[in-house]
Amino acid sequence: MEITSATRDGATILSVAGRIDTATAPALEQAINKEIESGNRKILLNFSAVTYISSGGLRVLLATAKKLKNPGDKYALCALAAEVHKILKLAGFTSIFSIYPSEGEALAGW
Amino acid sequence: MPGGETPLLSLSWQPVPGAPGAQIYPLIRKIDTTSSNSYLIQTDDVILLIDPGGLAEQAEQLARVIEEIREEHDRPVFVFLTHAHLDHFIGTQCTPAFAHPETAVFAVQEAGASALERGDGKLTQAELLGQTISPVRIGLHLITDNRSSCKVPISLAFSNGATVSITRGQTRAGLLQEIIQFGAGPSLEIYHTPGHSPDSICIRMGGLLCIGDILFAANPGIAGLCGWDQLALIRSLDGIEDLVADGGIDFILPGHGRVITAADAKRMFTAIRSDARALENIAELNNERAIETAAFAEDCMEQVNELFTIMAGRLYYVSYVMEELGEEDVAAEVELLIKGDVIDELLEAFRSFADEHHKRKGISIHLALKAGQVIAKLERSFNGAELAHIIDPALARRAARLLSDYTTMLRGFCPPSELAECDLVRDIGALVTGLSVPSCSDDDLLSSDDDDSTFIKLLLRRIGMQPLLSEVEFTFSAAEKHLEVAVDRDDLTDLVTYILEDLVGTGSDAITLQIYCNNNNAIITLRGSGCTASDEMKTGRGFLQRLCNRMGGTLSYMTDDKMREYTISLGGLI
Repeated sequence: MEITSATRDGATILSVAGRIDTATAPALEQAINKEIESGNRKILLNFSAVTYISSGGLRVLLATAKKLKNPGDKYALCALAAEVHKILKLAGFTSIFSIYPSEGEALAGW
Repeated sequence: MPGGETPLLSLSWQPVPGAPGAQIYPLIRKIDTTSSNSYLIQTDDVILLIDPGGLAEQAEQLARVIEEIREEHDRPVFVFLTHAHLDHFIGTQCTPAFAHPETAVFAVQEAGASALERGDGKLTQAELLGQTISPVRIGLHLITDNRSSCKVPISLAFSNGATVSITRGQTRAGLLQEIIQFGAGPSLEIYHTPGHSPDSICIRMGGLLCIGDILFAANPGIAGLCGWDQLALIRSLDGIEDLVADGGIDFILPGHGRVITAADAKRMFTAIRSDARALENIAELNNERAIETAAFAEDCMEQVNELFTIMAGRLYYVSYVMEELGEEDVAAEVELLIKGDVIDELLEAFRSFADEHHKRKGISIHLALKAGQVIAKLERSFNGAELAHIIDPALARRAARLLSDYTTMLRGFCPPSELAECDLVRDIGALVTGLSVPSCSDDDLLSSDDDDSTFIKLLLRRIGMQPLLSEVEFTFSAAEKHLEVAVDRDDLTDLVTYILEDLVGTGSDAITLQIYCNNNNAIITLRGSGCTASDEMKTGRGFLQRLCNRMGGTLSYMTDDKMREYTISLGGLI
C-alpha cells in the first residue's frame, strides 16, 4: 500500500493505492493521525487505487470519523472502486461519512 | 522403556515394547501432505524401515542412520510401505541407498506393489499431485493371493541376503494377516486394512502398531482419493479396533502426526467410523474434481471475504453509533461478537497461498485443501446465531451456507440442492418486502418494556438491521399473478439477495425487479440505475454464475454507464 499526501482548497488529500488489510491498515491510521495531529482537520481519502479493504481497514475509517467530528471538521472518501464501495455501503458506513465520485465533487461540497 | 503412557521420542533409538531385542527410531514430522512419518526398527536379524516418506532429505537422513547401524552390525534391510501413496515413499526415488534390491527390499501389499511396479500415477496419487514416478521393483508382495494357504509357513529368500518365513492367517474380526519371521527375533505382523487405499496395511511389532493413514481416511480432501472404499474402510476400522481391544498394543504409530496411545486411538476410531458412514456415494477425488473444487474454493473465498468484511463492518458501525449514544460498554461488547482480526488473518493467509499457487502453477488439490482448512477455522470464529440478533440474519445465514457448501464439495458431495415448487411472484415479492422494512419499527422501540436491556437489544437491532432497499427507489413488477417453477428456494433467495446487494452496494439509486415468462422460461430481471461506484465489479460474477447454474438456471449481466442489469433465466416452469 502507498499513501501520498497533497493539499488542495484547504483540505488534505491522502491518496491511497493498494490493499488495506491487516498488514497495511496501521500505516494508513498513522498517516491519518499524523495529519490530524498537525492540525489538518479536513481530510479527504482518495481511494481510486484501493483494490481491497479488510475489516481492519474499516476500523481505521471509523476511528478517523471519531476524531473528526468537531464543528468545522471535514472527513470524506472519494473515487471508490465498486468492491470497496459495496463493502462500505452494506456495512452502513455511508451514514457516518460521505462518499463522493471524485475529488472535485468532494471538495465542491466543503 | 516405552510402554503404558510413556510416549515414543522422535529421532532416538528406544526399545520396542513387547518385542525383546527390537529397537525403534521414529521420525515424527509435523503434519503435512508432503511427507509421512517414518519408523525404523532394528532386531538382531533385520533392519525394517516403515514408510521412508516423500522427501529426499528425509530418505537420506534415514539412509545415514541405517548405514551407522549396519556398520555396527550388518543386516538385511527391508522397506515396508503402509500403502503406496506418494508421500510415503517418493523420497527414496532419488536416494541411492534405496535404489538397489541388493541393499533394500521393498515390501508392499499386492495392489500397491503392482501399482508401483508399473509406475501407476493414479493409485500412488502422483497424477493428482502433478508428479511422475519411476516404476519401483517390489521384492516382497504382501497379503498376496499367491500365498493363499493358511497357517503353513513358507520360506522366501531375497536379494538382500535375507531368508524369511511367512505364515498367512486371518484375525478374529476377519482381517487378512501375514506373520513374517526374519530369524529368531520378534516377528512382524501385517494386517490388510483397505479403505484409505486398496493396499493399506497395518504393521505390528510387539506393542506398536503402524496404521498408515487410516486416521485421516474420512477427512475432506482425502476421502474419495483413487482407490478409496467406504465399506472396506469401515470393515478395516472394525478389524483394527478389535485388534487393539485384544490388548498388548501400547501405541498406535500413524502415518502423519504424533504417536497416540491405544486408549486415545479407540476414541478416534469411533469418530472416524461415524464420519466414514456418512460418506456414501462421494465422488472420486481425481485431478478433474480437484481443479473444479479449487475453482469453487476461490469463488467461494472471494464471497466469504466480502460477507465477513460486511458483517464485521456492520458490527463496528453499530458499536460506533452506540458509543456516540454514550453506551460505551455495549459498544465494546458488540465489537467482541466477531473476531475481526482473526478472520482478516485467515482470509489474508488464503489469499497469499492462492497468489503463490497461481505464480508457481501449483497443484489444485493443495489450494482446495488450504481453503478447507481456512473455512474450518472461519466456522469456529463466528457465532451466526448471536450475530443474527444485531445484524441482518440473512448475512450470517449466507456466510454459514457458503462455508458448509464448500466443505460439502471438498468432502466429495455436490452441495445440497432441494428442488421445490416455488411461486416466483409470491416468494420474491415476500423477499423484497422483507428487504424494504426495518426489522424493528419505531412502534417496536416505543412500546418496548421499560427495562434497559430489552430497549438496548431493540436499539441494536434497529441500528444493525438497516433494510437493504430502504434508501433506493424500488419497483417490483410481475407479468403474471403467479409463476411457478421447481427451484431450490434457498439458492434462489440467496442469488436475488446477492444481486440486490451488488446493485445497492455500487450505489444504484433506483432498482427495478421484473418477473415474466419467455419461451417456457421464467425470467427475473434486476436493473439498477444511477450507480455511483467508479468502475465495474471485478469479483463475484463467477460465484453468482455458479449459484445460478446450480439451480438449473443461467445468469447474464450487462452494463451501460451507470446502469447494471442481471437477468436470471429459469427452466422448470410448472
